Amino acid sequence: MMKYADEEPTEDYLFKIVLIGDSAVGKSNLLARYARNEFYPNSKSTIGVEFQTQTMEIDGKEIKAQIWDTAGQERFRAVTSAYYRGAVGALVVYDISRRQTFENITRWLDELHAYSDMSVVTVLVGNKADLKDAREVSTEEGTALAEAQNLCFVETSALDSTNVQLAFQTLVKEIYNVLSRKVFFYQEQRPDGKLSNGKTVILQEKDVDSAGAPTRKY
Amino acid sequence: MRGATTQDDIDMKQIGGDFEPGPVPPYKPVDRYGFVKSDQVNPTVEVSTKFKPSNEQEREQRRVRKWRKMIGVGGTDWKRYVRRKPNVVKRRIRKGIPDCLRGLVWQLISGSRDLLLMHQGVYEQLVLYETSASELDIIRDISRTFPSHVFFQQRHGPGQRSLYNVLKAYSVYDREVGYVQGMGFLAGLLLLYMSEEDAFWLMVALLKGAVNAPMEGLYLVGLPLVQQYLSQFERLVKEQLPRLGAHFDQEMINPSMYASQWFITVFSYSFPFPLALRIWDVFLHEGVKVVFKVGLALLKYCQDDLVKLPFEKLVHALRNFPDDALNPDVLLPLAYSIK
Repeated sequence: MMKYADEEPTEDYLFKIVLIGDSAVGKSNLLARYARNEFYPNSKSTIGVEFQTQTMEIDGKEIKAQIWDTAGQERFRAVTSAYYRGAVGALVVYDISRRQTFENITRWLDELHAYSDMSVVTVLVGNKADLKDAREVSTEEGTALAEAQNLCFVETSALDSTNVQLAFQTLVKEIYNVLSRKVFFYQEQRPDGKLSNGKTVILQEKDVDSAGAPTRKY
Repeated sequence: MRGATTQDDIDMKQIGGDFEPGPVPPYKPVDRYGFVKSDQVNPTVEVSTKFKPSNEQEREQRRVRKWRKMIGVGGTDWKRYVRRKPNVVKRRIRKGIPDCLRGLVWQLISGSRDLLLMHQGVYEQLVLYETSASELDIIRDISRTFPSHVFFQQRHGPGQRSLYNVLKAYSVYDREVGYVQGMGFLAGLLLLYMSEEDAFWLMVALLKGAVNAPMEGLYLVGLPLVQQYLSQFERLVKEQLPRLGAHFDQEMINPSMYASQWFITVFSYSFPFPLALRIWDVFLHEGVKVVFKVGLALLKYCQDDLVKLPFEKLVHALRNFPDDALNPDVLLPLAYSIK
């Protein structure tokens, strides 16, 4: 990976994130709004997976989020579940105007835990908050589920942009916090206060060197 | 899981509560295939279709006459011609079926016309009297299928209705397959060239394998054929384009990141329509091999650029090929040359 160092500034951290949830809850539009500030009222249904990256800064560190947007129809889990592996974060999305998509959330969480190989920081997202007259899932119900499952929770509208940035930023910040804690934990564990070379903490495709700063390893 | 009565209520509300056609969308300029023109319309395609020089027009007309002779009135001479001169047929199809005859020829080469004649009345039965567990899933996707084509833009208009009918009929006809996202693009493409009933039987011919290998494994639980094709494609990239194959390995790129939709929708999901049509001409006659060949040809054509790109740019490039690579007259000869 180092050979590309001249071409583009390399970020400090690289987080792999997945967007999951039932078909037509608005996953692709959440990502379009977040990454490009766009919204398509009739966007094509996602077949397989789509991919976007977005960078942000936390504590003066540049963080790149690699976001995988997946097809929502159950049949596609045969190909999409492979993308859960190595993910450090997930946005699990339902549509506040369709109760069924909320009821399926626990199945999505089970799926995520079954296929991902570490604890994934998860934000529960109730999308289409602009559809006030059609609401079928109250904010309280979303909050209660998030508390029960120990998740962050936010209601969004990809249509009018409400909380879309917040949803992604919350996720990335939370991943960053968890990571910092883990690095600290590892440092506590070792008598010399250093991390051994090549010790993967939480990031896939990246190692943490003795200074605690990750370097890319492909 | 789906189909409970509450769910019905939800969706009726969501789609407007009635099935009266919505307002006709305001007039927008469309290309020769009926897609609303966007700002970044591929300029080479525009030039070649809109301002055709007269000698090219004459050539096109000669081609149509040849084709008419070959198929006979309503396709009566077709089978005899194919038996006598299979190589002529193959060569002419590879050059592209004239657009005005496409619908008819597709039905002849796919074997769907025979299926229709053998099963008269079946389609009507499926549409009118049967119910499908997938109805709500289909409805939810109708406006998300070829959203930029005039035929499918009007809410509950003729295009959306026939798309719904074909997909619902298929989900009843084969309940094991049911409805899977991606099938809508197949049905939508066909409906631009033939009636609902004809499109339905062509779907049956494709998925059940009337002439070529059955496609239904692309849509069955577990998507077994998608998995198989993707791993075959990965092996072919390594064999035929070793430099690129090694680069993909290094960057941890695998075909599920870019090629699932190539197979699931036979290039109809996101490729320029004129190219998709030319691929479909050959696909219906020769089968899935052409999907592999076109995929490999795309990678081969762009190989020198692709081997320089790191992971993220690579994923992007594999979903956004340059216009010259997507020109059917450049890409297809390259695809045919791949063995």
